[in-house]
Amino acid sequence: MVVIKTENLTKIYTRFEKEAGLKGSIKSLFHREKITKTALNRFDLKIEEGEFVGLIGPNGAGKTTLMKILTGIISPTAGNVSVLGYVPSELKNAYKKQFAIVMGQKSQLFQELSAADTFLLLKEIYDIPDTEYRKSLDYFIDLFSVSEYLNVQVRTLSLGERMKMELIAALLHNPKILFLDEPTIGLDAVAQKQIRSFLKEVNRDKGTTILLTSHYMDDIKSLCKRCVVINRGCKIYDGSLDMLFERYQTHKLITVSFSEATDYIPHFNAVIVEQNPFKLSLMVHSKDARCILTEMLRECEISDISIEAEDIGNVVERIYSDKGGILYEEVH
Amino acid sequence: MRKYIETAKVLFKAQLVYHFDILLTVVFTISKILLAHVLWGAIFENQDTVSGFTYPSMLSYYIISSFITQLDQSAGTGGQIAAEIRSGRFSKYIVKPMSIFWYFTAQTAGVSAFLLSFNLLAALAWIFIFRVDFTITVDIAVILSALILILLGLLFMMQMNYYIGILAFKFLDTSVFSMIKDNVVRFVTGSLIPLALLPAGIVEIMRLFPFYYVSYLPSMLLIGKNESEALAGIIILACWNAAFGILNAATYKNLKMKYDGVGI
Repeated sequence: MVVIKTENLTKIYTRFEKEAGLKGSIKSLFHREKITKTALNRFDLKIEEGEFVGLIGPNGAGKTTLMKILTGIISPTAGNVSVLGYVPSELKNAYKKQFAIVMGQKSQLFQELSAADTFLLLKEIYDIPDTEYRKSLDYFIDLFSVSEYLNVQVRTLSLGERMKMELIAALLHNPKILFLDEPTIGLDAVAQKQIRSFLKEVNRDKGTTILLTSHYMDDIKSLCKRCVVINRGCKIYDGSLDMLFERYQTHKLITVSFSEATDYIPHFNAVIVEQNPFKLSLMVHSKDARCILTEMLRECEISDISIEAEDIGNVVERIYSDKGGILYEEVH
Repeated sequence: MRKYIETAKVLFKAQLVYHFDILLTVVFTISKILLAHVLWGAIFENQDTVSGFTYPSMLSYYIISSFITQLDQSAGTGGQIAAEIRSGRFSKYIVKPMSIFWYFTAQTAGVSAFLLSFNLLAALAWIFIFRVDFTITVDIAVILSALILILLGLLFMMQMNYYIGILAFKFLDTSVFSMIKDNVVRFVTGSLIPLALLPAGIVEIMRLFPFYYVSYLPSMLLIGKNESEALAGIIILACWNAAFGILNAATYKNLKMKYDGVGI
């Protein structure tokens, strides 16, 4: 069943421009230059129930704008949007009870009180029956192992502990859809891993549809089978994450150690990443890797070889800078 | 309804976290009463009445009206709404299944309830220890009218400050509106220029504004004066509340469209 559907979704923001300096400030009192920015441009999207979809794109690509439209925080300029059969911008309470949004940089917990106090408030706001509330809370406390922090003032929690509490607060009413905007931002590697495993379990156990934006590709790679790439308000890819990497992770990093000092220069197209008489690291196109290795094995005394997939950062950069628009793969 | 009671409870609990603030609140209340005691004591030293007030009734008026004024915490809430809109944090209220106005009203009520309970304790202790001859009416109907007026008055102030707060959707900086409101309130309630100095016609017009009934009239009613104005006050405040209710709903619906939720 399709739970999120957008057609030709467009959002245009109006901004005012002001020249720098005092003169510009005084001038802006009388005349302000109006500029428009298209944050989303005829954006189509369909998400099925229970999917875990990664939404990636550079800053200002339109990811958060899409999230805000889907949750009814802002209204689209044009196009259609339907989530669970509701028009989000109508902000019906029946709809609001069926989703949750977690914004990594925004908190819904009361800083002065314990997380348990906020949970009690959310129980009433979402009309969660006592037994269901207890069951949900026990499940999440156990899953996240946070029982010892439950009655501690939120402002004294670490960022990782706070994020766990934010997620519990968002999930207490068992939403059908969870929107996650940078949930692991600022967290250390251990906390990121915990959050990821928690989200994976929620998606699997409760069948919650999750739409995730993150700048950490590790989040997307470990959680999402499907990925939507957005740039300048347009969708440039929609499909399998594996296929996306297959297409864009075009290079290999070959590192060889020589048993004696060597002054080898490859005859194929390759970028030298590191070179000294006993070691050479090359970035080569995957299709050339075999030939280069054969050549090196023939010409040099090699003591060790390692072949690694290209750094994920380079891949992301290549995806975002793609202007061809040929990658679009409609999965539905 | 339970969600708003829980909201008020959460804000009440949040106030209890800062023990030093509680102590200061109590000290502030006691010092205000002490100051009034000394000031009015000096004025009443050589006369029994001032403008129809005896010393106990004047002190009682001062204590009651200070209470009511302090109960109104809606200006802070209006400022908070504007700040949250400006920073984009207002989004967290938009996505919750509740009325945003009543949520903020409950939040304000929680803070007011905290102030009421601690100030009341401090004031009662003061009245008891120093055996202040506290003047209060025993007419149940008048007390009830005063309580209704206080509730309507607090609701009206909340509606007005909420309105100023949501103007941030359009104007971002709403401090100028707050300043205008504060000056109008001061003028209409006579704290800028004594109402007695203004022409009678203008004073009558001012009585159509709600501010007269927010703290002045209920305080007077509770000390046993101006009983004949109670009904008119309730009707006028109810009308103003209804009008602001409609205005707020229409303004929110209209201005919410301009919200970009910047910052998230």
